[in-house]
Amino acid sequence: MHALLADLLDAAPGGCDHVEARIVERAWESIGVRDDAVAWLEHELSTGLGVRVRVDGAWGFAATTVLTPAGAREALARAIAVARAQPRTGAGRRAWAATLSPVPVAVGRWSSPWRRDPFAVPTEEKLAHLTAAQAALAVDPRVVRREASYEAIRTTTTFASSDGSRIEQTLLECGGGIEALAVAGEEAQVRTYPSGHGGSVAAAGWEHLLGLDLAGHAPRVAGEAVQLLSAPPCPSGPATVVIGAEQLALQVHESVGHALELDRMLGGEAAYAGTSWIGPDDLGTLRLGSDQMTISADATIPGALGSYGWDDEGVAGQRLLLVQRGIVTAALSDRTSAAAIGLAESGGCGRADGFARQPIVRMTNVSLEPGDAGTLADLLADTGDGLYLETNRSWSIDDRRLHFQFGTEVAYEIRGGELGRLYRDATYAGIAPRFWAAMDAVCSAPAWRLHGLTNCGKGEPGQSAHVSHGTAPARFRGVEVGASGTIPASAAQLDAPSGMVG
Amino acid sequence: MSGALPGGIAPQGDLPSPRELAAEVLALAAADGETQVSVTRERSLFSRFAGSVATQATAIDVVSVHVLSVVDGHTGGATCTALDRDALREATRRARTAAEAAARSAPSPGPYPGLPKPEVSPPGRSLQGHGPPGPFPELDPAVAGAALAGAFATAEARGLAAFGIWTAGDVETAIASSRGLDVTDRVTDAYLKVVCRDDAGRAGFAARTATSIAALDGALVAAEAADRVARTEPVALEPGPYPVVLDHDAVGSLLDQLASLAFNGLAQAEGRGALVGKLGTRIAAPSISLSDAPHFPGTLPRAFDAEGVPKATTALIEDGIARAVVHDTRSAALAGGGARSTGHALEPGGSAWGAVPTNLVLGGGDAASLAELAAPIERGLYISRLWYLNPVHERSALVTGVSREGTFLIEDGRISRPLRDIRFTDSILRVLAQTEALTAAQRLVSEAEYYGTRFAYGSVVPALRATGFRITGGA
Repeated sequence: MHALLADLLDAAPGGCDHVEARIVERAWESIGVRDDAVAWLEHELSTGLGVRVRVDGAWGFAATTVLTPAGAREALARAIAVARAQPRTGAGRRAWAATLSPVPVAVGRWSSPWRRDPFAVPTEEKLAHLTAAQAALAVDPRVVRREASYEAIRTTTTFASSDGSRIEQTLLECGGGIEALAVAGEEAQVRTYPSGHGGSVAAAGWEHLLGLDLAGHAPRVAGEAVQLLSAPPCPSGPATVVIGAEQLALQVHESVGHALELDRMLGGEAAYAGTSWIGPDDLGTLRLGSDQMTISADATIPGALGSYGWDDEGVAGQRLLLVQRGIVTAALSDRTSAAAIGLAESGGCGRADGFARQPIVRMTNVSLEPGDAGTLADLLADTGDGLYLETNRSWSIDDRRLHFQFGTEVAYEIRGGELGRLYRDATYAGIAPRFWAAMDAVCSAPAWRLHGLTNCGKGEPGQSAHVSHGTAPARFRGVEVGASGTIPASAAQLDAPSGMVG
Repeated sequence: MSGALPGGIAPQGDLPSPRELAAEVLALAAADGETQVSVTRERSLFSRFAGSVATQATAIDVVSVHVLSVVDGHTGGATCTALDRDALREATRRARTAAEAAARSAPSPGPYPGLPKPEVSPPGRSLQGHGPPGPFPELDPAVAGAALAGAFATAEARGLAAFGIWTAGDVETAIASSRGLDVTDRVTDAYLKVVCRDDAGRAGFAARTATSIAALDGALVAAEAADRVARTEPVALEPGPYPVVLDHDAVGSLLDQLASLAFNGLAQAEGRGALVGKLGTRIAAPSISLSDAPHFPGTLPRAFDAEGVPKATTALIEDGIARAVVHDTRSAALAGGGARSTGHALEPGGSAWGAVPTNLVLGGGDAASLAELAAPIERGLYISRLWYLNPVHERSALVTGVSREGTFLIEDGRISRPLRDIRFTDSILRVLAQTEALTAAQRLVSEAEYYGTRFAYGSVVPALRATGFRITGGA
């Protein structure tokens, strides 16, 4: 692959002041067992090349699956044609790629850690594991769908650039989860473990899936799904809430990580994913949250989905503090955005989803650093009365990453420092800086876990990034719970023949 | 396929056509029993811009091959992008091995009822879709450049900056199966979105979707977006129920959500869909008639689904009465009771997440304009675009989301002052039940989110006025 890329770089005409190319080989496997039968069992092998050029200050990018010198050169020609056809930058405006922040030449290899290659695990063993896990969900006839799923992805990226970098990296990801759908009358409830978004995926091997102990958790998960059918709706109003680590991971993702993407701040995503209420001038001064809030972006954490040796622009993966004791200190950047605000170097966050997409600013592993509130039990005991919210179900945030609303699969009353009554259909809403300012306790390091997300969407054409977030349960005061206020006690409340226009 | 397009980007030469490739792969799998081969070739062009400056441009020319194997009601699939004989043969082997493993793991036949029989006669005749007869001439970056330049100039003249995307796609799909299926389709689409912003960040949005880029005018779309930029500071609206005028794009976003919440046949069969127990009952205002119409004039037409089942019009809501959900072969088998595929498979073999309509058409009404929709409203709001919609309670089709880039107060019958963006949490079915009027004019709208292989779809919808829209906060 390096030879193909070397030939491609040599073929670049003199008008290209920057060329970089990636060959991405991806093996993907996904299995789902549902109600004692295999619902899906899919393999994918894809290999392709993406080449990005800068010509007269304009970017062009082209992708192909024809991995021959002729195919690569044809893609290069398309990328150049695309760049040359871009309208020239008007007077008084700065070209998007006017400058790139410098990057040291990088030559090397990197691989994520794993113990047992999931692709080498016999299919029969995988099916037996998943079959047993979903079978253990069969605790009640009201559980009408039982599902256990698994996914593994191996991505090998070969990168070369006109800066002289030559890099080869391999990332292995593996994970899965279980889901129980319970239905009774007009109510349907879903309960998942470890989360509802494809379960838990890590940069690891089959050992990660085994460590989740899906079958062991299944009876509890299914039991809770059934209990939710008759549980009362979560009460509304301001409350002290303890948010579970998995839900908190999505909270960090949506209201911190995305808000600190520098390309959003500069308007690059304004028409789609949005902008940010935080601007470059806020770095170093803006208070985003309480003193309990320290956020890191770390591309070096073993086992995390957003870890790598180098990003897709050849910039070394690194750790930086985005928020320190509540104050925003840095943004996530790539070579273009870093240069736009005069940073000495890129933050190493230029990432692309596969060979047919070009790098844009993405999160790496954005984490809330642990605090000193002990275990979850310690935090609940200290809380006295409130609500405990666990496992994301619904999420929505505005285009500046300021006003959000989340829903969780379950909520528990905290009474006298212990978990009490189960509630269904819990939602909470807030405004990011006020919400984070209300955080007054974070559990300690032993309660801190990495949570992988594989469905972070951004960019046009759309790209899905895989990121991890490290979190421990945390407490927030005065959160508006049930802000929607409109979840019906029963679906019949929303059947409105009496008010219907006719 | 070979040869340069006039002024455009030449497609990669020496590649077999998707139909030729599907036949070749099917032949490789001849000894493997029940098999379906799907070949997709995507050629597309994207040109993004921000601050009236071109930012990123992406040209894609990618072929992928998927093999589905069926053994005793169990399926296994394999996808590859390498087109050499060894790689293709390996894909057929993987698919077969997967299906066999699935069959061995189960004590009984699986839930998949088998590949659909071809519905064209005689078997083997190709069902040509709606695409243009020759090369799609509009994958020309110069056309994109001109559209962007037009948008920039219009924004500049209004003291604004333009943000957005121009994109065009040409996707050929061929499906062949061991049951004699042999179909091809070609879907061309074009989309232009412009958001105009001032230095204070106030913004207005406009977009157009079509089968041909010739129908899109960068300057005109930018002008429409510029018209929606607030010229004064926006005011806030207290939470509560309000009469609302939803423009075409906002209506399309709601229906996009409803498609999976209410009309997914698998969700219906599992008891989690919003129409469970409601088929044949009134669920919307009598003025509401919604169908899935893949051949409707002005839609993005599509000939068949991912199982090669021909697409046809399906009435979903007629005069406010819920009529149907949609199915693929897998969900129809699960539903039982004589249910059949309605041609809505999203994946070969049917998706594990169900079947969803992708060519929604909401019938228009009598209102001549947005102004006429707003006229009866004493105090309400106008929304041009909705964003980040997500279900809150699936059985009631309760969703939450926010408005953006063009939200205005309606006062005394007129669209008046700019509003700060709002968050709503409401049932889409309730909104349809409370719909009072719709414009006569319909427009094709699309979310135009292209993740993975390009699948262009959109809805043809009017704008509408509804009462009691539940605003639950700001945004």
